[in-house]
Amino acid sequence: MKSYLTNLTGAFCLFLVFSTYSLAQSPTDELMMPKNDFCLLFNYEYGEFNQYWEGDFLRKNETIATVQRRTAMLMAAYGITEKLDVYAGLPYISTNSTTPNGGKFAGTFGVQDLSIGLKYKALEKSSDKGDFSLYGSVLFSTPVSNYLSDYQPYSLGLGTPQIAWRGIAHYQLNNGFYGRAAVAYVWKGYTEAERTYYYNDGSYYTPWMDVPSSWNFGLALGKWFFQNALRVELSASNQTSTSGDDIRPYNAPQPTNKVDMTRVGAFAHYYFPKIKGLGVLTYFNQNVAGRNAPKMTSFGVGATYQFGF
Amino acid sequence: MRKLYYLIYILPLAVLISCSKDLPTELAYENYVFSSTDEDGGNWTPILLSSGSEIMIAEPKETSSAEYQAELMEVKNAIASITSQQKENLKKWTNNPVIRWNEIALELIAKYNLIPGPNEDGSYTLPNPANPEGPPVFPFSHPPYASRALAYMSVAQFDGLISAWHYKYKYNRAAPYLQDLEINHAYEENPIPSYPSDGAVIASASAEILKVMFPLEVEYLNSKMSEHLESLLLSGENVQSDIDGGVKIGEEIAALALTRASTDGMKNAQTSKAVSDSIANAAYERFGWMWINQEAPQRPVGLTPLFGKVKMWSVPNVEAIRPPVPPTPGSPAYEEDVKILKGYLAEHSEEYRRIANFWQDGLGTYTPPGHWNEFANAFIVKNKLNTLRAARTMAYMNMAIMDAGISCWDAKYYYHYPRPIQTIEGFETIASTPNFPSYTSGHSVFSAAGAEVLAYIFPDEADKVRGWAKEAAISRVYGGIHWTFDATVGTTQGINAAQYSIDRAKIDGGDNF
Repeated sequence: MKSYLTNLTGAFCLFLVFSTYSLAQSPTDELMMPKNDFCLLFNYEYGEFNQYWEGDFLRKNETIATVQRRTAMLMAAYGITEKLDVYAGLPYISTNSTTPNGGKFAGTFGVQDLSIGLKYKALEKSSDKGDFSLYGSVLFSTPVSNYLSDYQPYSLGLGTPQIAWRGIAHYQLNNGFYGRAAVAYVWKGYTEAERTYYYNDGSYYTPWMDVPSSWNFGLALGKWFFQNALRVELSASNQTSTSGDDIRPYNAPQPTNKVDMTRVGAFAHYYFPKIKGLGVLTYFNQNVAGRNAPKMTSFGVGATYQFGF
Repeated sequence: MRKLYYLIYILPLAVLISCSKDLPTELAYENYVFSSTDEDGGNWTPILLSSGSEIMIAEPKETSSAEYQAELMEVKNAIASITSQQKENLKKWTNNPVIRWNEIALELIAKYNLIPGPNEDGSYTLPNPANPEGPPVFPFSHPPYASRALAYMSVAQFDGLISAWHYKYKYNRAAPYLQDLEINHAYEENPIPSYPSDGAVIASASAEILKVMFPLEVEYLNSKMSEHLESLLLSGENVQSDIDGGVKIGEEIAALALTRASTDGMKNAQTSKAVSDSIANAAYERFGWMWINQEAPQRPVGLTPLFGKVKMWSVPNVEAIRPPVPPTPGSPAYEEDVKILKGYLAEHSEEYRRIANFWQDGLGTYTPPGHWNEFANAFIVKNKLNTLRAARTMAYMNMAIMDAGISCWDAKYYYHYPRPIQTIEGFETIASTPNFPSYTSGHSVFSAAGAEVLAYIFPDEADKVRGWAKEAAISRVYGGIHWTFDATVGTTQGINAAQYSIDRAKIDGGDNF
């Protein structure tokens, strides 16, 4: 089982995409690449919301009607060793409001943040019942275009460097069921607005805004089907910012806000048994609770292709 | 490989440390030697008072008196037991607190500059001064409101300081640190007599005005005032009777200013829907067009339709500076503008975006009048103005800005000209379209007025500030929310409005040095 799984794992690669406000994309799972294997993922995500939490008040706002967000992302992974993978990803995003809307704001589009990460397999223990493994990952991301973070809710991203430190524990039963837990501390730096004054529970005479860092937690339950050709997973995740202010009444959000949210999702990844290295995936996510966060519904589709050197 | 892990741990740490920023929450400046003392300042012509001697304060006790000696002892004792927090406060308030009180006003403007959202049923509730807690809270400190709050505060400071200067040089009482060499002086030396305290005039006049403008902030303003008054004593510059004299002047001039404010017409500026509709219909009858709010749900009344009727400071008659009729929608001049606006939108220029955002000063901020106050604060420090001259700068600038705003609002509701999103099908903006007619642009008028007064007071900065005003004007066109003629005509209108304040300043005595 173990060797089979390792082989098969070679055929997988994937990031879970947290494209909304929060994390960039991150190496959040337990899958490792064989040494010298290379994997590409192309992913497309559509997200929308017509309500958001202003502080803890769920607001509907006809000024922005339904905000739509489309993300096309190219990612790559490479197995440096059996225990160490390196990742890189680059999303292109476009945003807009549906019409009619009361604000008549132009949406925006462009390349967002380049992310580069490493994931290390720290521990693996097998027993009669299943396999237990532990991972650590670090993901660094930084804006690569001059998008304006202070144009919410249409901003492409937070406009700041971020470093996500993540620990992942995974347990898989021999019958294919598995569970995964992850905890991450996401450091977020400063973003530069194009105004030199803003209010954040007091006056600030600077274009620099302190973007709150956050703790992120994730739980996933899943199962492998059809001789490990299909993986299906249900997940729940939470982001809790360590500081920040609330969106003020009927006012636009800004990067200094304390963004908290809880999300549930479902995910499936299918590996074509007859086409070596090719896989397709799809997922659905829903924000179910939050503070200064959009009540975002999103789904995505993607294709993975893996090959060795 | 070990090296790589090392790098993984070190690199983010380095980033964390190197990126930790101290974000400024106020203008950074130290106390300074004033460029002048203005001994004749008590003879300058005030705005509301007939003269500096109109407000009466008691003749100070002789410095040899037991009462004064006891006051000196009180100062000594207070300084002897000064806490580290009090030392911080001394550093913060400095010897030019005109700037700090201005910043308090700007902060409150930003805090209350929030437009009320719709109710569940799509209706809107307006802030009500009779019920300031709301919701929505009172006030909504939009640009006209901000310009007015700043004007009254600055005028009260200026008149109060003329009065203070009158008595300072009448009684010539030297500061405690000069009376008793054991008293430590916290600031640079400026040979200005200490009775009454100019700092106390500024504190009490500012606090009294702001308490009425921002009724929910009474507690906050009282705490700021006591902190400031305590600092005056701890600075070694004032004894308690200096402070009491200053507070009395501040309270009296604030009361006078607030009396004017209560009858200046502002309380009628936000009209009923019936009045608002009749204003719109009058424009439609006259010109064949009218501005209509495009929000959803639609706001039934624009922002302060009768702000144009508020009593002006220096302009005798608002119609004297009313701009000419704008191009009729559909005319070649109008169509030319449509092309320009569409071109800016399509261009996605980062430079235009930067300019639009730099000058946006929209909801939740200190507004365009606030932006010009920030500039003025920096020029005051750069030119080392004393408190009297600082207040004079602010008074003329903020009167000019308010007069300009009144003139702008007169044009806005007289012409009732549509916004670009109303008449250009499918048009989108990168700035937020405000809830009032387009012609002329408030930013253009406020900014030109602010720039003209600053150019008059600080001639070395004239080209720079006039350039800024033009950029502020065109920024609204880049933002997609104004026509080019809103901006260009608005700039001229602001210059014209400011000229009345400048003409007044030229003969107030402040230029005779």
